[in-house]
Amino acid sequence: MTPVMAEDWLLEAELAPAVEGDPLAPLYAGAADGLLVLPFCPACGLALELEQRVCDGCATAGADWRPAEPRGTVHAVTVVHRLERGLVRAPGPYPVADVETAGGHRLVLTSVGPLPRPPAIGDAVTIGFRRLGGVAVPAFHPTNLVKRRTPDGRSRDAAAAEAYPGR
Amino acid sequence: MTARRPAVIGLGLTPMSVRPGGSAAELAARALHAALGDAGLAPTELEGLLVGSSQGVRPDRVGVALAAQAGLGDLRMLEHVEIKGATTVAMVRRAQLAIDTGEARTVACVFADAPLRAAGGAGSTYAHSGGNSGLRGLERASGVLGSVPTYALLAARWLAVTGGSPDDLGAVALAARAWARHNPDAVQRAPLDAKAYRASPMVSTPLRRLDCARPVNGAAAVVLGTDAAGSRHTPVRVIGSGRAHPVRRRRAGHESWFGGGRGAIEAALAEAGLSRADLDVLELYDPFTIVTLCLLEEYGLCEPGEAGPLARSGALAPGGALPTNTGGGQLSGFYLQGMTPLVEAVIQLRGDGGDRQVPGARTALVGGIGGRIDHHACLVLEAA
Ligand SMILES: [Zn+2]
Repeated sequence: MTPVMAEDWLLEAELAPAVEGDPLAPLYAGAADGLLVLPFCPACGLALELEQRVCDGCATAGADWRPAEPRGTVHAVTVVHRLERGLVRAPGPYPVADVETAGGHRLVLTSVGPLPRPPAIGDAVTIGFRRLGGVAVPAFHPTNLVKRRTPDGRSRDAAAAEAYPGR
Repeated sequence: MTARRPAVIGLGLTPMSVRPGGSAAELAARALHAALGDAGLAPTELEGLLVGSSQGVRPDRVGVALAAQAGLGDLRMLEHVEIKGATTVAMVRRAQLAIDTGEARTVACVFADAPLRAAGGAGSTYAHSGGNSGLRGLERASGVLGSVPTYALLAARWLAVTGGSPDDLGAVALAARAWARHNPDAVQRAPLDAKAYRASPMVSTPLRRLDCARPVNGAAAVVLGTDAAGSRHTPVRVIGSGRAHPVRRRRAGHESWFGGGRGAIEAALAEAGLSRADLDVLELYDPFTIVTLCLLEEYGLCEPGEAGPLARSGALAPGGALPTNTGGGQLSGFYLQGMTPLVEAVIQLRGDGGDRQVPGARTALVGGIGGRIDHHACLVLEAA
């Protein structure tokens, strides 16, 4: 069983994002409900950057934060080997990817849990959530590990559990 | 007869320290007075002061209070300039225009930084700063601590798009070190070969420790005046300047991490009336090896896809056809943001490069970038 306030696999809780009054508050509110909520132009629907306040396509002000499809592809990826003392809990290198969502946003995220190997540029990923100091934060996991049934007929959950031993 | 034109007539550096010590204000004041002395000016002869400081949450970053802290008298011009790493070039441009218009006859530009603290190294200082709000808060909550993971994403993307390899990065590191060996101000002068580079600890793939600039506590200052102002050094004229501030969208269909800087060098060369082939030395902002490669292509200093092969061929290194970052740059020299390339350009054009002097160097390109290669500022300098 997962404890209610399980610690994040990667970081110390002091790195939890500000939520109250934060420019990204709608993203965190959605994440708390298990939804990937992102900003779009209220007039033309363009995918806006997370802190963008006026659409560069049609100059309409404001952002319509709404649920977006929680899948995407890797636009860029690195594996961080520097484990900053006092901030990083993970015992080994961790992945950080710039994920391009199906709706056209780009988000820099880490993985939901430890990965046996990092994804490559172009790989499909699904966006889930990790909890950091009580705040739900979007994170990716490789789509193929979740969606594909294993050749020996195990369920995808069993395959996922093996892929994310930290969960 | 040559018109009197704005030129760098004074240069001042503090020692570059890789250990804690000195506040940014103390360091800035020392560099400023060294530059005034170098220009043969009394402090009371200075009419303008432009101050640049490191971004971020440093409590002691320098600002316009430096005028009082450094013991200056009344000034006609005093500004804190801020365009991240592009600030130094912007300050020089501002000084050039002030002298051209008569706003001030002598203007100093100063930058100081003191990221090294008694508690923890500079990497730690960067990793612990950034806050937890907004976009940066989400990135930090995703493990993007300090600036290395960000530039690592940029590097990974750039190598994937251009077909480059991590060996290209190593070649840049080796070239920078080869230059630094002959720069007494450089903080990393030990010989470096490819084997030692590959043994360097990985920080964030593909960037190793030796792909990253070494932060220092230090300061640098230049004084601009007119080129007949009586300096004992060869005046270094500012003959071209250009900027570009591309707004790259983080959205599908765009390259988010690089591109859009070409206008800065085009404008600088046009003002100078020169072409790329006229540039004798290239001094580029190089906080990470990847940035040197990016800028060579971004500024059209080589063909697309050729920056890596060029670096591997030795063209950037001493004796090469494209002398680049001839003091070791920020990588092996010292990391004083935009001051690093400017200082080296002035030294080369004065002919003061000693064992690293590029023979006959008369013109230099100084390239400054800010943010995540979001702001570009270029200067073309010429020995008077
Ligand atoms: Zn719109």
